[in-house]
Formats: sequence, C-alpha cells, structure tokens
Amino acid sequence: MRLGRDGIAGLIGLAISLLLLPQAFGLPKLPIVPVGPGFYPTIVLVFLGTTSAILLVQDVLAQRRAGPAAAETPPAPPRAYGLVAAAFIVVAGYIALLPLVGFRLATVLFVGAFQYLLEPPKTTQQWILLTAIAIATSVVAYLVFERYLLVLLPRGAWTGW
Amino acid sequence: MKKLFSCLGAVLLSAGLAATASAQFPDRPVKMIVPWAAGGDTDNIFRPLAPLLQKQLGQPVVIANVGGASGTVGAREAKNSAADGYTIYAVHDYIHLVHYAGLTDISYKDFEPICLVSATPSVLTASPKTPWKDWAGFVADAKKRPGEITVGATLGSTSHIFPASVEKAAGIKLKYVSYDGLAPRMNAILGGHIDLTDSNLTQKGKVEAGQLKFLAIASEKRDPDMPNVPTLKELGLNIVYEVVRGLMVPKGTPAAARAKLADACAKATAEAEFADSMKKQGTRVSFLNEKDYAAFLDKIDGENKAIMADLGLMKK
Amino acid sequence: MLELLGSGVFTILQWKFFLPLFLGTLAGVIGGAVPGVTITMTIIVILPFTYGLEPLAGLAAMTGVYVGGSAGGLITACLLGIPGTPSAIATTFDGFPMARNGEPGRALWLGVWASFFGGLLGGAFLILVTAPLAAIALEFGPWEYFSLFVLAMAMVAGLAEASLVKGLMATAIGLLITVIGTDPIGNALRFNFGSEFLSAGFPFLPVLIGIFAFAQIMADVEKVRDPQQTEGVAAVGQPTLRISHLAIIWEILSRPVLLLWSTIVGIVIGVLPAIGGSAANMMAYDQAKKFSPRPEKFGTGVPEGIIASESSNNANVGGSLVTIMAFGIPGDAVTAVMLGAMTIHGIQSGPLFVSQNAEIAYGIYAAYILAHPLMVLIIGLSTIFILKVTAVRLAVLAPVVLVLCVIGAYALNNTMGSVYVLLLFGVFGYVLVKAGFPLAPLILGLILGDQIELNLIRAIMTDANPWLFLTRPISGGLLLAAALSVVFAIWQHLRHQQRISEADADF
Repeated sequence: MRLGRDGIAGLIGLAISLLLLPQAFGLPKLPIVPVGPGFYPTIVLVFLGTTSAILLVQDVLAQRRAGPAAAETPPAPPRAYGLVAAAFIVVAGYIALLPLVGFRLATVLFVGAFQYLLEPPKTTQQWILLTAIAIATSVVAYLVFERYLLVLLPRGAWTGW
Repeated sequence: MKKLFSCLGAVLLSAGLAATASAQFPDRPVKMIVPWAAGGDTDNIFRPLAPLLQKQLGQPVVIANVGGASGTVGAREAKNSAADGYTIYAVHDYIHLVHYAGLTDISYKDFEPICLVSATPSVLTASPKTPWKDWAGFVADAKKRPGEITVGATLGSTSHIFPASVEKAAGIKLKYVSYDGLAPRMNAILGGHIDLTDSNLTQKGKVEAGQLKFLAIASEKRDPDMPNVPTLKELGLNIVYEVVRGLMVPKGTPAAARAKLADACAKATAEAEFADSMKKQGTRVSFLNEKDYAAFLDKIDGENKAIMADLGLMKK
Repeated sequence: MLELLGSGVFTILQWKFFLPLFLGTLAGVIGGAVPGVTITMTIIVILPFTYGLEPLAGLAAMTGVYVGGSAGGLITACLLGIPGTPSAIATTFDGFPMARNGEPGRALWLGVWASFFGGLLGGAFLILVTAPLAAIALEFGPWEYFSLFVLAMAMVAGLAEASLVKGLMATAIGLLITVIGTDPIGNALRFNFGSEFLSAGFPFLPVLIGIFAFAQIMADVEKVRDPQQTEGVAAVGQPTLRISHLAIIWEILSRPVLLLWSTIVGIVIGVLPAIGGSAANMMAYDQAKKFSPRPEKFGTGVPEGIIASESSNNANVGGSLVTIMAFGIPGDAVTAVMLGAMTIHGIQSGPLFVSQNAEIAYGIYAAYILAHPLMVLIIGLSTIFILKVTAVRLAVLAPVVLVLCVIGAYALNNTMGSVYVLLLFGVFGYVLVKAGFPLAPLILGLILGDQIELNLIRAIMTDANPWLFLTRPISGGLLLAAALSVVFAIWQHLRHQQRISEADADF
C-alpha cells in the first residue's frame, strides 16, 4: 500500500489521538465540576482522530485509483530546502544564545549570520554593509525598546549584559 | 570586535563590583514580577506603587507581567531569578492556595518577605436579575433551593474560597461555575448567567447605577463610601475576607538589599498619592514590615490550608 | 455619541496618539504593498512596539496597520499585477489590465478612493452598530458562545480550498494545542508528559507569531536562489500616475449601488468571525460581476472590478472591529493580535468594553476614521517610494523581522519560554504548510480553543441539561447554521470534483 502526503499526515493525526485518548480518561476529577478535565480533550481527540482517519482513507483510495504512474507530480520549481533547514538552525542558535550572551550581542551575530546565509557577501563593501546592518539592528532595537519604550530585553547569564 | 571587548569589560566590571554592590544597591533598574496580566486587580495595585518605589530607590522599577497557569509561571520565574534584590515579586494569597492545590511545589517559604502593601475586602455581589433585595432574602432563597443558586468563581482561588466560606458559615448550598477573572464574571452577572459572585468595591459605580447588588462586605467595619452595605460580621457570620498583597524577594537576597527595599516600600506606601490610588481600587493600604509580614504569612498560610482541606481542594 | 466621537478625534489628534497612528498606517501601507508580507505579518512586527506605549497609542497604531494594509495591497496589485496581500487578489483582475492599457494612475486611484469610501462606510457601521450589538452580546450565555464558536469553525473549515477534511483536521490540531498544559477550569495538568515547560501550556501570541512568521519567511527563503523570483516585475508606466481626483471620485460615487453593495458584503464578512478580507474581496468581485450589465468585460480593466474589490476589503476592517469590540471575539489573526495587545494592557474586550472603556473605544473609532485620509495621503505621496521598498532584499528583511518576532514573544511575559514556543511552532507551522494544511482554520482553533472549552464546561456547570444547546433559540439557530455550512461545503466540494490546484500557502 502506498501512502501520499495526506495519508502520512492522517496516520500521524490518528496516532496522536489514539496515544492521548487513554491519558484524557485518566485525568483526575474535581468534586465540584460535573465533568472532569478530560471531557473536552476527549471530544477534541475524537474529532482529530475522525478527521485523520477520513483523510487517511481518502488518500489510500486516491492512491489506488491513480496507481503508481500518476504518483509523479508535475515538476515543481526547485526549492532550497537545505537553505530552509540552515535558516532554522541559525534561528535556533540565536534563541539558544539569547539567555547566555544577552540580546545585544546575540542579535548582531544572528542578523549577520542570517544575511550571510541568504546572500553571502563577495566584496569588502558588501561585508561592511552586512556588518553595519547587523550592528544597527541590534543597537536600534535596544535603544527603542529597552531605553525608550521600557520593554525589557533578554540579558546574558554569561555576560550580564 | 569593539562590542566583544566592551562586553568582556562588562563581565570583569560586574565581577569587581559584586563585592561593593550591596552598598550601592540599586545601581540599575529593578524588575517587579507581577504574576498576572496587566490591568488585572493585582496589576492595578502594584502599578501605582512602582513609580513611588522608584522615587525612593532612585532607579526605574519596571513591572514585568509574567502571567499564566494561575500565577505559577510568575512564581517560578521569581524563584529562579538571581537573588540580588533586582527582582522583586508581587504576590497575594494565591501563593498559598496554588501550593495546597498541588499546582506547584513553590511556596511562600521560597521567598523572603519585604512588606505587606494592601488589603482588598471581598464583597458578595448579586446579579440584577435575582429577586433578592438583601442578604436575608438571598439566604432564605438559598435554603429553599439548595444547590441551584450559581456563583461565578475562579475555582480554587480567592473568588472561590470566599463564597465557599460564606456557604459553610450560613449553612447553605451553592453551585459553582468557572469564570476566571473579574471582567468575565461581570459580563456573566450583568447578563444574568450567574446569580452571585465575589467582587470588590471597584464595582461601586455599577451598584449605584442599579446594575448590581452588593449583599455584604467581608471587612471588619462598613466602608464609609458604601455605608448601606452590611458587614458579614453584623449579619452573624464570623468572616473577614480580604485579599492581601505584598512584595517578596527570592530567598538568599542580601540583607542590605532587603533593608533598602523594605525601607523604600515603607515610605512609598505611606504616601497620600498611594492611598488615593488604592481607594480607586476598593482597597486600603495595609503596611506591615519584614518581620510582621513574615509572621502574618505564617498565619494566613495555616488558615488557607485549613480552608482548602475543608473544601476538598487539597492535593494529598 | 457624536460628542464622544468628537472628543475621540481630539484625543487621537494629540501627538502621542497621532504619531503611532501615522506610523502604523505607513507600516500598513508598505506591508500591504510588499508581496509576501501580509497584514498579519505587519501587525506582528508592530506588536512589540505597542508593549511600551499607552494602550490607546498601541491600538491606534494597530488600527492604522489594519486600514493601511487593507489599502496598501492595491498598489502592487494595480501597478505590478501582484496582489500585495490576499485581500487585494481581486483588485489585480481589473486593476492590472487597466494599468497595462495605459491608465495606471486611474487604476491606482480608483482603488485608493474606493478603499476610502468603503472604509468610511464600514466605519459608520462600526460606530453605529457596536454598542447595540454589545447589548445583545451581554445576553449571550455560555450556550450561545459555544454555538457561535462552533459556527465560526464550521465556516472556516468549509472555506479551506484544498479539502474540507484537511480544514477540519487543521481546526482539530489548533484545538488540541490549546488543550496542552493547565486546564482552564480546575488547573489539572493535561498532556504535559511530566515536563514543566509544557505545564504552562502554549501562550497564544508566540504560537501565532511563530506559525505565521516562519511559514511565510521560510517559504520565501525556499525561493531566494530562484532566478525567476529575484528578477521581479517591472512596474508599468509610473510617469502617468497623475490624475484628476475629482473625476475618479465621481467615477466611484456615480455607482452608488455597486459601492454600497460591495461595502455591505465586506462588512458582513468582517462581522462573521474568522473569514476575513481575503474572502471579502473575491466575493464582492463575484457579486459585482453577477449584477453587472456587462459581465464579459470584467477582467479587461473595468472600474467596477476595482471598486468592488477595494471597497469591500476596507469595509471588512470595520466589520471585524465590530466583532472584537462587541463580543471580544477576534475574527481573524489580525484582530487576534489586536485583542492580545489589549489583554497585555489589561483591557478586557467584550460586551462591557464600549460602555466601560468609552475613551478607548471612541479613540479606536477615531483612529479608524482618521487612518483613511492618512492612507490616501501616504499612498499619494509615496507610491514611487513604496514600489522601491517592495524590492528590499529578503536577506535584510527576514532577519530584522525575525528579531522583532523574538522581541514580541519574549516581552510578552518576559520569559525565554515564549521564545522557545515561537521557534517550536515556527517549525511546526512550516511543516503543516508544506503538508498542504490551510492555516486559517488552525489559527481559529487556537484562538477559540480555550473559550470553547470554558463555555462548554460553564454551560454544563450552570445546568446539566445538554439539550439546552439546541432548545435555547439563539444557540440552536447558530448550531443549525453551523450544520448547514458544513453541508454546503460538502456539496460545493462534490460539485467542483475537479481538484483545485493547491495554493502554496493559505494566509
């Protein structure tokens, strides 16, 4: 049996709902609430399970009808999924650094790294521009938020800054 | 590169300053964690206090609303903050309740008290769509229809504990419906979807406009602004229920910083401006110093524990 | 009421409110014009700035973004043939042909003035209807609210283009996300798997920001090395933007039926929770075509098409504001962020909002009205500049937007926890979009999840009789409408058996 994109999504949805349902039943009840904290989650999980199951069945039927030949999708424009993964990693790195080195430093590094990732600078001029944008973003954000609007930004545990 | 150096410099500097920091406390903004959303009752009480504290401390006092999960997210944030006096924690009775309800392992013992700030007496409030004119009418009806009169409350919090104590003392039976927060309770009670709720004197305007009825106030004496509302004590119920709010710091905060904060709190709460803004919140200023506040916390902790056990809300 | 409105206008004209309104409108126009940046995205970027402002100043800025954004989309729609936001899709149908036929100025200004009039008519509705509707909303008990939410979800899932089942499943996922953490009634921990991080649940705004911001930015990152994408489209004849405004205004006002009907379509769709501007402009365009004596001319550059689309999408803003101000229910992601911003400032929207916070309510009305002339002014002065901004490189735009998203999440309650949630749901949202799930029902599930549960349990706690959901007239009527809308959606999907090509992402 072949599964398409929807089939896999349906399978995951079904698995999640079956996995969580027993937990919903096991939740402790409060004496003054006629239905326990598991009542509503049960409804939601049944809803999720049902829609997932329908999606799965629809996909299995569609795959069978179409046969393996039609599984070839029309050529999609090339997408840079590697770049997306790298971009997510850079963001994750930024978020991990925030509580360690503080907003100001982490933001310079992040804005620089993200620009480098999308459009690696080639000339010295482009490098200067990249650095300037990175530093400016950090400085302006700090001044506007923490100094002017009194919105506190993360401080670094390592740097205290 | 320059940034890196200045940042290294900052590390060295702060290490060097650590020894003398207590003498100069505070030398940077102080963060006040309010474990509820802005504009809530608690926020409304501490927000006017912040600038007055700032005046005493000479550094900005910035309120950080850390809401979520019945205030326990804020409690955890406060407990895990550096114990250097730069984080203060604004708290009310919920700290005892959530602990005994088993929502969190954090208790008031994880903090050092600074000062008690205010007390807000609870007022038993009825919907305009109820037939009762006063307390007696309500009790008579409640005895006739046990378990049918609905009360809007945040379950397991002060708005639940207060009507539950009334219920027990008056020998009646009420039905609770979960309405989190004063604003949703006001919507529901004005629409007549609940009969009763716990509110406070901030709702005075609606009573005067005939939209709400105050049945009884849970303070020692009648309020001079609402002299027609009887106290529960007069009505023969030995209940005084006031939501008290104070300031704490994480355990281990240096004594010098605590003393400075406590001193600032004493002076700030004594200002006439603060009393005025508290009056608008249906609240009176109720200052206790570090030592008295600690004793007071021990006392109300025991009381809250007993009530929670009574109501069957205690986690074993 | 006029008195209150007058004082609202005077309040907003003060510098500290007017400047945020102006900057918000400007940001909205630019965000609306830049293809790939939606109004939601713009409002997300604006959000952290409002934390530090007075509540009304923040709300004025957001109102400006909403109004400006709904109009800004037409700039690129008319001049480049690319809708700047989904709410300007129908504008391209006739706006771009008209521009290509050598009348770019006429196309642009027909859109601008139609937005202006449609928006102001929507504003009149907003001001007149909100208070009476709030009085009705007060009579809504938990049963009625529950049924209203069910109706909203049924309608949105039915609108999902790809498939009804996927729309419903996306709703279910949204609902499930809100279940995780502490239960809103008795604080029991649900599905936290013993983790302290999960016990707090997922705060709504970081989830929303994560899903929207990352799904969009990463979709652009995918294409950044695609040569077709980077070349861009040359603007058509910028030199002839000069035009007689009186002639244009007359062109619009001489079609009062078209203008009014499109406005009404926009308002009604705005009031209904969760449908939004992207549906309004298409529907109004459709209606205009149906009632026109020359439907075959539509798509070749007729003014009617532009007027219908643009007046409806701005009227839609007025309608959406009615719903958040009278019921306290956000109709879409934009108003959900606005409501979030209100909550941060401690303003509880709901039936009592207008009467208790008259100053803020009338301030919002005034900001809404003043945003329209500002929008006209901004577009008039800076169209050429805005076209240049649309060419800003993603390499610069993306990291700056992401930094603002991080600040928005962090400053919400000053914990890194929210920032982790942001990233988690950024990844999750991107994967969902790639799996072909529509985001609108997911977001609606997220917005309404807690409220559905609270009202369901409240109804049961107030009276254990389950039939009340059907026997209370308003509640029963709403549930019936929900059932009908699902049946209608199924019927429509069966009718269009030929699969509609799936959109890249549904914002």
